[in-house]
Amino acid sequence: MHIIFGGAFNGKRQYVKERLAGMDVSWHEGRLPETENGNGFIVIAGLELWVKEQLGRGVNEERILVQVKKAVAEMQQDHFWVLTDMNRGIVPATALEREMRDVIGRLYQYLFAQAEQITRIWYGIPQTIKGADQNENLHKNRR
Amino acid sequence: MARAKLIFISGGVRSGKSAYAESLVRDFSAQRKIYLASGRAGDPEMTERIERHRKDREMDGWHTIEQPVRMEEVLPYILKKDAVLWDCVTTWLANELYEGWERNEMCSEIPGCMEQKWIQLQDTLLKLLDTAEFLTVVSNEVLDDFVRDDLYMRWLGRIHIWLVKQADQAFEMENGMAFRRK
Repeated sequence: MHIIFGGAFNGKRQYVKERLAGMDVSWHEGRLPETENGNGFIVIAGLELWVKEQLGRGVNEERILVQVKKAVAEMQQDHFWVLTDMNRGIVPATALEREMRDVIGRLYQYLFAQAEQITRIWYGIPQTIKGADQNENLHKNRR
Repeated sequence: MARAKLIFISGGVRSGKSAYAESLVRDFSAQRKIYLASGRAGDPEMTERIERHRKDREMDGWHTIEQPVRMEEVLPYILKKDAVLWDCVTTWLANELYEGWERNEMCSEIPGCMEQKWIQLQDTLLKLLDTAEFLTVVSNEVLDDFVRDDLYMRWLGRIHIWLVKQADQAFEMENGMAFRRK
C-alpha cells in the first residue's frame, strides 16, 4: 500500500501515471474499488469526493471508516491512494465542509498508519515521508 | 552566456519567505538589487504599508519596480549583473486572472486569456534569466485547503510546477526555516 499525498494541483496524479506507465492499472476516481481479483495495480484517487458524497447521503463517519477498512483489507494487489491535503486552510464556513475535514483528517490518519510507503508531492517533487527506513530520516529522502 | 540562477521559494503567511529571499539576493552581491513588486494597494493601510516597505528597501540599496500586471514591461529596466526578487506569484496571478472585472470583462471568463498571459510570463521570465544574473521568485502555500477557486488554484499549481522545474533550487519555508526540496 502506497500513499501519494500533497496539496491540490501539485502533480500527484501525474506522478502516479508516470510511475505506473505501461502497467496494468485500474483507476478509481472518487470511489472505492469493488471486490477485485485481477492483476495489476489499483489506484484510488479523489477520496475526498467519495467522502463528501457519503456524508451528503447521511452516512456517518463510523460507517465510512468501516467501508475504507474493508476496501484496504480486500485488495490483494499493490494499491496506490492519491490523497489531497485539505486540512491546512481556515475553518470552513459550512457544516458539511467542517465535518468533511474532520472525517478526512481521521481517515488519512488511519490510511497513513496502514501504508508501507508514503510519498509527499510538492509541485511535482516527490519526497518519501514513510517507508524509506526505520527512522524516517527526512533529510535523506530527497529523490 | 550562462543562464541566471533561479531560486523558487514558497511558504505560508509570515513564514519568513520574503526575508529569506532578500537575504539570498543580498548574499549574491550583484551590482544592483531589483525588487519586482506585484502588490497593488486596495486601501490606505495597504498604500502606507507598500510605501513603508519600499522606503525600507531603498535604505538598503534596493530598486523597486512596481509591476502588478504585464511583467514584460520590466524587461527594458533589467540590466546585466542585476539580482532580481519577484514578490509574488499569487498576487500577480490574482491581478492577471481577475483583470477587467470592473468592466465586466474578467480575464478568467474569457477563453484563452490566461493561457496567453501565462505564455507571455514564461517568455518574460526566460528573457529575464538571460539578462540578469540571479532571480528568486516568492510565492505562497495556498493549495493545502479545500478547492474554493478551482481556476485560480489550478493555475497556481501549474505555475508552481513549472517554476520548480525551471529552478536551480526550490525551498519550502516554514516558520523561518528553509526546507530545500530541490
